Amino acid sequence: MDPKLSEVSQMCELFKAALVRNDFEKCETLLSQLKVLLTAFRSLPPLFEATLNAVHELTVARDIYEHAVILSVKTEDQDAFERDFFQLKPYYTDAGDRLPQSQQEFPILGLNLLRLLVQNRIAEFHTELELLSASALENPCIKHAVELEQSFMEGAYNRVLTARQTVPHETYVYFMDLLAKTVRDEIAGCSEKAYDSLSINDARQILLFSSDQELSGYINEEHPEWEIKNGYVIFQKAKESAPCKEIPSLQLITQTLSYARELERIV
Amino acid sequence: MAMTVTSAGGLLAMLNEAHPSLKLHALSNLNAFVDYFWPEISTSVPIIESLYEDEEFNQRQLAALLVSKVFYYLGELNDSLSYALGAGPLFDVSEDTDYVLTLLAKAIDEYASLRNKAAESKDAGDIDPRMEAIVERMLDKCILDGRYQQAIGIAIECRRLDKLEEAITKSDNVHATLSYCSNISHSFVNRREYRHEVLNLLVKVFKKMPSPDYLSICQCLMFLDEPMGVASILEKLLRSEDKNDALLAFQIAFDLIENEHQAFLLNVRDRLPQPKYIPTELVQPASAETESVPDANAAASEDTQMEDGTQAMVGSSPVVDPKEANYAERLTKLKGILSGETSIQLTLQFLYSHNKSDLLILKTIKQSVEMRNSVCHSATIYANAIMHAGTTVDTFLRENLDWLSRATNWAKFSATAGLGVIHRGHLQQGRSLMAPYLPQSGSGGGSPYSEGGALYALGLIHANHGEGIKQFLRDSLRSTNVEVIQHGACLGLGLAALGTADDDVFDDIKNVLYTDSAVAGEAAGISMGLLMVGTASEKAAEILTYAHETQHEKIIRGLALGIALTVYGREEEADALIEQMTRDQDPIIRYGGMYALALAYSGTANNKAIRQLLHFAVSDVSDDVRRTAVLALGFVLYSEPEQTPRIVSLLSESYNPHVRYGAALAVGISCAGTGLSEAISLLEPLTSDVVDFVRQGALIAMAMVLVQISEASDSRVGVFRRQLEKIILDKHEDTMSKMGAILASGILDAGGRNVTIKLLSETRHDKMTAVVGLAVFTQFWYWYPLIYFISLAFSPTALIGLNYDLKVPRFEFLSHAKPSLFEYPRPTTVATTASAVKLPTAVLSTSARAKARASKKEADQKAIAEKSSGAESTSGIGKSSSDKDGDSMQVDVPMQKKAEVEPSFEILTNPARVVPAQEKFIKFLEDSRYIPVKSAASGFVLLKDLHPTEPEVLSLTDAPSSTASTGGTAVNTQGSVASMPVDEEPQPPQPFEYTS
Repeated sequence: MDPKLSEVSQMCELFKAALVRNDFEKCETLLSQLKVLLTAFRSLPPLFEATLNAVHELTVARDIYEHAVILSVKTEDQDAFERDFFQLKPYYTDAGDRLPQSQQEFPILGLNLLRLLVQNRIAEFHTELELLSASALENPCIKHAVELEQSFMEGAYNRVLTARQTVPHETYVYFMDLLAKTVRDEIAGCSEKAYDSLSINDARQILLFSSDQELSGYINEEHPEWEIKNGYVIFQKAKESAPCKEIPSLQLITQTLSYARELERIV
Repeated sequence: MAMTVTSAGGLLAMLNEAHPSLKLHALSNLNAFVDYFWPEISTSVPIIESLYEDEEFNQRQLAALLVSKVFYYLGELNDSLSYALGAGPLFDVSEDTDYVLTLLAKAIDEYASLRNKAAESKDAGDIDPRMEAIVERMLDKCILDGRYQQAIGIAIECRRLDKLEEAITKSDNVHATLSYCSNISHSFVNRREYRHEVLNLLVKVFKKMPSPDYLSICQCLMFLDEPMGVASILEKLLRSEDKNDALLAFQIAFDLIENEHQAFLLNVRDRLPQPKYIPTELVQPASAETESVPDANAAASEDTQMEDGTQAMVGSSPVVDPKEANYAERLTKLKGILSGETSIQLTLQFLYSHNKSDLLILKTIKQSVEMRNSVCHSATIYANAIMHAGTTVDTFLRENLDWLSRATNWAKFSATAGLGVIHRGHLQQGRSLMAPYLPQSGSGGGSPYSEGGALYALGLIHANHGEGIKQFLRDSLRSTNVEVIQHGACLGLGLAALGTADDDVFDDIKNVLYTDSAVAGEAAGISMGLLMVGTASEKAAEILTYAHETQHEKIIRGLALGIALTVYGREEEADALIEQMTRDQDPIIRYGGMYALALAYSGTANNKAIRQLLHFAVSDVSDDVRRTAVLALGFVLYSEPEQTPRIVSLLSESYNPHVRYGAALAVGISCAGTGLSEAISLLEPLTSDVVDFVRQGALIAMAMVLVQISEASDSRVGVFRRQLEKIILDKHEDTMSKMGAILASGILDAGGRNVTIKLLSETRHDKMTAVVGLAVFTQFWYWYPLIYFISLAFSPTALIGLNYDLKVPRFEFLSHAKPSLFEYPRPTTVATTASAVKLPTAVLSTSARAKARASKKEADQKAIAEKSSGAESTSGIGKSSSDKDGDSMQVDVPMQKKAEVEPSFEILTNPARVVPAQEKFIKFLEDSRYIPVKSAASGFVLLKDLHPTEPEVLSLTDAPSSTASTGGTAVNTQGSVASMPVDEEPQPPQPFEYTS
């Protein structure tokens, strides 16, 4: 076997072991080294040269990136997740027909969907969804994300929050926690628009907090412009945003008419 | 390749990795795939840009290259270029991709415009050194790859004379490269000063070469106006032992002559050093000979000077040095050439001996023109003069003296002046020919009109070579105060002293101008312009002031044109004056401004000038100015005749007849003699315009375009000839268009059908006299006698080979084309109506074919065996091939297969008529006794004699020397016309079978 490849394989094992041990620092250093080593392989994307060990190399590389994604979830680093996921993706989309399907593929794709949902990037979410085959949509991991999105869109936030209990994979928990926050932000945004003020009690219920402390903590942290006064949460400051502009309809009408007249005159 | 990536997302993600080698990996892969994934990458451009700006990142240049490529795909070329500059050496100029090519072009454009701006504002602008580096890399690469022309182009464009020199000297064929270079410097370098710099460099390179191409050097030097350089080269060549060097010197002289730059030539001649010792016995017989034999090289005026010089020196040095003697002899010849007398002499002989003008056409015109219509009457006289320009054949006038005497007043003036056109170039006898009409000292017997006309005629005879006659004209001008004579004398003097900028002459004319007589003042204005052509002197301002003071429109117009003439060819230098004139309140001055634009930028196709002219053509309030603005386009564009029809096509459909007229003449001027199909298509509808003067302009323009085009090459020539005939014969036609038709028939057969209108010389330089001639010619709108100026634009279409003695030896060469393509038009038959002509031609042509077939073998044999005189044998071949006619083709198509095929070539004998379109078919025979010094297909060519010991057979020795001989020619031409029908007497048709 190619010495370089064996070196990578060995290091990969070390990396996986460290990951299982949750020794994140070791993981990071190993991963960084691995990535640099991987750039030397010409069989990997984007070149895809058909070298002798191409399949093997691709498998190893995919394995590394899959674990890198899991690592990023564990370290709760969304940027790293995105980075690693994009580097992993060609192994699924472009090299998929040459490699045996990975066990991790659907969980990771599902994770990514979840991430998009968390980051409220709905457009990208649907783009990703469109790229998946019909059979993939049946996969519980994907299905979970899709259902979440539907509930999210419907405003059935309860269902979103209860879905945390039914995660198909243990790595999903992190994102589900984040999702709860996203939901709360969404509700907060809506309330701001919908009400001038709310009683603290109502606000707590609406924002799905279990105690008033949590509520005030949240307000201080996320919405310092809100005011708590006399047992009410007052959103007035947010109301200051300028009223939407009126359409200058009369002006438009006169303009259009004058154009028409001019045109008639020219012809 | 089994797989490709479908997205650059992974690589883009990699850019965000912390490790630099990962970034590098991503960058280099992205760079490889940018062609496919630029839309994806474009969203990440800020990241890559930040990499480029990151001082610590060691592959910043790669990042810059990537960004540059993305910007290129986004169409942001400016951003792309600035990043490409950042990419430094990674931007590979030799890469053959759209990206690189586009950016290179962009970089070079940018660089060139920066350099030009820097050069114009005279301060060294801050040019990005990186851009300079790229351009230099490109240049070096071109030179390395042997693409010298490209390198030269870029170097010239970017004003990198150092690189230009490098490119030229490193090229494998320096001669070819140099000539290419001088060509493009004329056609593509727009700014005059810069062109001078380029030419200076060329001369420098030329001189460094081991075997310099003196022909080209001298052309360059002429452009730089450095007579000293030319003179020293000529001297060197003359002093050489080798006879061929002398031949070369003569050839150079002839080439210089062709550009018609009188002042420069005089300068060269004056700077040629006199031989140190002049052996008396050699010079005296030589000069004696010159006087006795009219076709010797030096003219009388020249001789007097020479003799003066020689006699002064003879006493001091009686020693005879053969070398010096040799030099002296050659010098005499060279001076003869430089003064233009040799070439004029030879041209005259050629035009005289090859005259093929058709008197029958004139006769038809004369008969159909109404007696009392003086416009048409004079037009006929003009047409006759133009038809016989330079041939010295005045038979028509002599035969119709009665008819001629109907010309009175100004008509008489132009009738007399017409003689000048007919005898154009007859330098020795011009004066004696005109003697009967010239003002006699003492007695005021003659009519002032004929006297004035005679002075004008003298000017026409001596146009641009007026050294001999200048003094006489000045005296005549001073000794008269009749305005008609002053008018003629002014025009004559202007013509004779064209472009010499002689201060004394100028003062004389100015005195006439200040008499404030309308008739004389107009001529004086034009004459001043002629005198100062192309000098851009301050006198123009003086003239302009006077133009504002005077009340006479005629004078203002004359002066306006005069001012325009002074800025001839000065390009940007004239801008201030043009600006002043075109903004004037007086429409006549603006009108002059249009001419100034036309002449200053003549033949440059300068975009700025075109834009200005088009602007005036549509926006000026005066019709005259608009007409002239359109017309002026013709002058600006004559170096690119293909452009003109396109540019004026819209104007030719203008509602304003003046603009239409201008468009017609613009096409006529710029496409003169080209027979360009688009030009004809544009003019055709105009010849039947609703407005009479537009028809007139279109007919004249059409004639200018079609001059010397044979019916075989464009059938519309025949159509046009018939149209002219119809207009002339039509009683109800307007006088204006009738006059146009008469003039057109004159121009169509100009100079005995042996001349064309040519504004560019063989070396693609402007012919000053021709341009000036046409410019004044277009003034005939206001003043008919100025029509004669068109004769200045005529140049004989001949190949004249000369030997060392400047004689015309018998010499043959090949025209590798069907003779019918370039033959003379067939003489018209006696029948007067167009319908009657058709039938006999059909019969005649078949029989002519039969006869021709029999006679051809004879003729061929004759041509090979017994070398008869040039004129006869060429005409013989012309006749034998004349069976190929448009009509006959249709009549007997079935016979075509059987019939003998027309030969695909013809042998021409020196001197021969070679029309411009024919030039590319001319081949010199390899086993010939003579070898041309330079391979040119027209004009004067010096021949190297390979068998100098054998006796030479000379052709073309007969000269139209006196009036008596002209009478003789009248008989000759008459005879030939009369004998034509006899020649073509019908014979029984050949047996044939019907195949269909």
